[in-house]
Amino acid sequence: MTAVVRRRALNLRRHGWSIGVWLLLAVLIGWYVLLIPRFGSFQIASIIKNSLPLVYLAIGQAVIVITGGIDLGAGAMLVLANSASATLMQDQPFLVTILIGFGIILGAAALNGFVGWIINVSRVPDIVVTLATSFIYSGLALMILPGPGGGTSAGFRILFTGSDDGTGTSFGFSLGMLLVPVVIAAFFMRRSRTGLSLYATGSDLNAAYLSGVDIRRAKVIGYAFGGAMAGLAGLATVAITGSGDPRFSIGANATLNSVAAIVLGGVALTGGIGSVVGAVAAAIIVFFLSPILSAMGIDPNTAQVVQGSLIVVVMMIAGLLALRRRRAK
Amino acid sequence: MTDALLETKAVAKSYGSVVALRSVDLTVQPGEIHALLGANGAGKSTLVKILSGVIAPDSGTISVNGRSVTMRRPPEALKAGLATVYQDPALVPDLTIAQNLTLTAIDEDAVRSRLTAMGLGRLDFDAQIRDLPLEVLRLLDLARALAHDPQLLLLDEITAALPSDQAEHVFGIMQEWKEKGRSVLFITHRLAEVLSLCDQATILRDGRTVAQVEPRQSGERGLVTPMLGEVAAELEAATSRVISQEAPINLATADLYSGGKVNGISFELRAGEILGIAALEGQGQDRLFELLSGDRRPDRGEVIVNGSPLRARSPYDAIRRGVVLVPSDRVLALLPKRSVRENLAIPLYNRVQRWLGLVGDEDTRTNKAIERLSIDTRAHRQVRRLSGGNQQKVVIGRWLANGFRTLLCFDPTRGIDIHTKRQIYDLLKEVADTGASVLVYTSELPEIPLLCDRVLVIYNGRIVHEQDAANATEEVLLSAAHGLEESA
Repeated sequence: MTAVVRRRALNLRRHGWSIGVWLLLAVLIGWYVLLIPRFGSFQIASIIKNSLPLVYLAIGQAVIVITGGIDLGAGAMLVLANSASATLMQDQPFLVTILIGFGIILGAAALNGFVGWIINVSRVPDIVVTLATSFIYSGLALMILPGPGGGTSAGFRILFTGSDDGTGTSFGFSLGMLLVPVVIAAFFMRRSRTGLSLYATGSDLNAAYLSGVDIRRAKVIGYAFGGAMAGLAGLATVAITGSGDPRFSIGANATLNSVAAIVLGGVALTGGIGSVVGAVAAAIIVFFLSPILSAMGIDPNTAQVVQGSLIVVVMMIAGLLALRRRRAK
Repeated sequence: MTDALLETKAVAKSYGSVVALRSVDLTVQPGEIHALLGANGAGKSTLVKILSGVIAPDSGTISVNGRSVTMRRPPEALKAGLATVYQDPALVPDLTIAQNLTLTAIDEDAVRSRLTAMGLGRLDFDAQIRDLPLEVLRLLDLARALAHDPQLLLLDEITAALPSDQAEHVFGIMQEWKEKGRSVLFITHRLAEVLSLCDQATILRDGRTVAQVEPRQSGERGLVTPMLGEVAAELEAATSRVISQEAPINLATADLYSGGKVNGISFELRAGEILGIAALEGQGQDRLFELLSGDRRPDRGEVIVNGSPLRARSPYDAIRRGVVLVPSDRVLALLPKRSVRENLAIPLYNRVQRWLGLVGDEDTRTNKAIERLSIDTRAHRQVRRLSGGNQQKVVIGRWLANGFRTLLCFDPTRGIDIHTKRQIYDLLKEVADTGASVLVYTSELPEIPLLCDRVLVIYNGRIVHEQDAANATEEVLLSAAHGLEESA
C-alpha cells in the first residue's frame, strides 16, 4: 500500500520554518546553559523526559491538524490513558506493563478513530465533536481512577526516564523514546502514500477527492494516529510520575499547549501545511520556556504571559513573511 | 455496428428542488472528437461530474463499450476508462508535483515524457503546486490523465487558460487519441475550435440533449441555434433612453490588466447610462468586477471614478467614492437572519455621525428605500424568508438608502422569476434616470436589449465587441462572446 517516495534534497524555503524553530530551540538551550549555575546530564535528562508528553501530543495534534481537523480532546485522552494505565499496571511485572502499554495505545487509536468517524458521519465541525469527547474522556478517566494513585513497573519507568524512580542522570532511553516516534511519524507523513493523502485532504478537499483520495478514511486515520500519540503521552506521564492523576486541568492545559506548539511549529490551522518535525521542536520550546523563566527568577504567573506573548510575536513574524512572499509573487 | 465507446441514456440529476440535468443522451463513438456544447447553466458541468464519478446521477444509464457502469467515486471512473481534466486542476496545492503523482499512484516517467512532448520537459517535480502558473497545472493535469491511458479523455474548458502555442499541443494530443481509435469529449466555449477539430457535437439546453450535429456540415449557425432555443418571445420594444454625450463620466477604466484574466480593458460609463457586459463564463468578467469594486488592485491601468483614479485598498474605499456592488450570490451580501430593515441600514451603520449621535435620518432613509422597492412583505421579516428576487431587491435597496453614483451588478437576475426580473429592470432604469450609472454583467443574453443602453462583449479578458443594446440580437452577442469576431 505504502509506496515509498524517492528521497529529495532538502528544500530550504519549504523547510525554512522548521529550521528556524530548531534554531530558536538551540538558542534557548544555549541561553539556559548560561543562566543556570550547573548544567549537566541531570538537567539534560530532566528536560528530555519531561518534554516527552507534550512532544507526543504535538505530534498527534500536528497530524490531525494537517489532515484538516483539530483535536480538543487530546489532553483528556492523555489523562484517560494515564489513569487507565496507572490502574492496570500497578504491581505488574515489566513485560505485562509493556503489553498493557501497547493495549492502551491501540485502544486510544481505536477510540479517537471512532471520533473521526463520527465527525465524518455527523458533519458536525471537528472542534465541536472533540470538545465533547474531551469531557467524555475526562469523565471516563475519573470513573477509572477517582483520585491520584495507581503505579507501574520499575522497568516501564526506566524505559521512558532512564531510572526506576524517574530522577536519574542517564538520558539515553528518554532520547530514544523521543526520537523513535518522531522519526516514525515524520516518515509516515512525508514518505508514505497514506501520509500524503492526509496532507492532500487537509490542503484541498476537492482536489484530494478528485485525485482518488478516500477523504473519510484519511480523517479516521488522522484521528486514530493522534489518539495513539495521546495514549503514548499518557503512558509517558505514568512513567515520569510513577502514578496516575485524573485531574481535568492537566488535560485542558495539555490540549492548549499542543495547539500552541503546532502553531509555533509551522502547522497551519487551515490544514495541509507544516511538518511533524517543526511541531516537535516547538513542543520542546513550549515546555522549555517555564524552566528558563524560572531560572531567570520570573514569577510563574508572569511566565504564562511571556509564553503567550512569544507565540503571538512568532506568529506575527510568520504572517509578515508570508505576506511579503505573496507580494513578491 | 460496433458498440459506442460511451453512451448515456436519459441521465438526470437534481439538487434539491433545482434540476440540473433533465435528460441527457450522449453517444460517443470510438475514434472521434466529440464536442459538448451549451450555454451557461445548460448542464455541461453537471454531466462532467457524473462522467468523472464525482456525483452519481439520480436516474439514467451510462455504458462504456456496451457495458453498463456505475461510478460512485473518481477512481471508479478511471477504472471504467474515463479520465477527466477538470476546469480547475485537481492537484493538491500544498504538495509537490512528485507527491501529487505518488498520491494517485502514477508513474513519474510516463508523466515526464508526456510533459516533454508538450514542451515542459524541464519542469521541476519538487516544485509545489501552489507556486506554478495555471497553464502549467492544466497541462500537468492533462499529462496525468494521459498516463492513465484512458479510453475516453474528457477535457473541460482546457483551452480557456492556455496560450495558443500550448493549446496547439493539446489539439495535437486530441488528434493522437483519435488516431489511436480512442475518443475525446471536448467541452469548450470556443466555437472556432469545435468547427476545426470536432467530428460530432452534442448540444445541451436546460439540462436536456437538444441536438447532435456534425459541426463541419452544420457550420456555426447550426451550433448556435440549438443552444439558444426559442428566442424569448417577449422582446418588447426596448424603451430607448437617450444618454447625453455631455453627461459626466462616472466610471471609466484605462487599459486595465490583472493576472492574465483582464487583458487591457478600457471603457467609459456616463451618468444615466446602463452599460451591459456580455461574456461566457470565465472570460475575466469576475476579475473586472473585483477591480471595479475595490476588492483587488489592477496590475496595470487605472479605474477612474468621477475623473480621479481609484486606489482602493478594500471595497470600503470604492463605496466611499460612490461605487457599489451587487454581487451574484445574494446570500453573501445579506445577513439572512436579520430583518429587511436592518439589512438596508447596514451601510449606514458605517457612518461616524451615527456614533456621535449627530444625524438621525437613518430611519427616514430606510423607509424611503422600502417604499421604492415594493418588497411584498413586511420590513421586519427575516431576509432569508424572502424569495430570491426580493432578496436581490434588498441588496440593491441597501445602496439606495446609502446613496451611490455607480452601481455594479454581477448577474443580478440569476435564478429569479420573470415577474421579479421585470421589477429589477425597472428599478435599475429608475436608478439610472436619477443620474446614476449602472454596469450590469448578465449571463442571460436576452436581457441585454431589455435592460441596457449599450453593450460590451468580453472575450479572453478583452472587449471584442461594442454596440447599442437595443439592436443587439442574441446571435450577434453569442458569436462575439465565442470569440468568432475577434476584431470589433
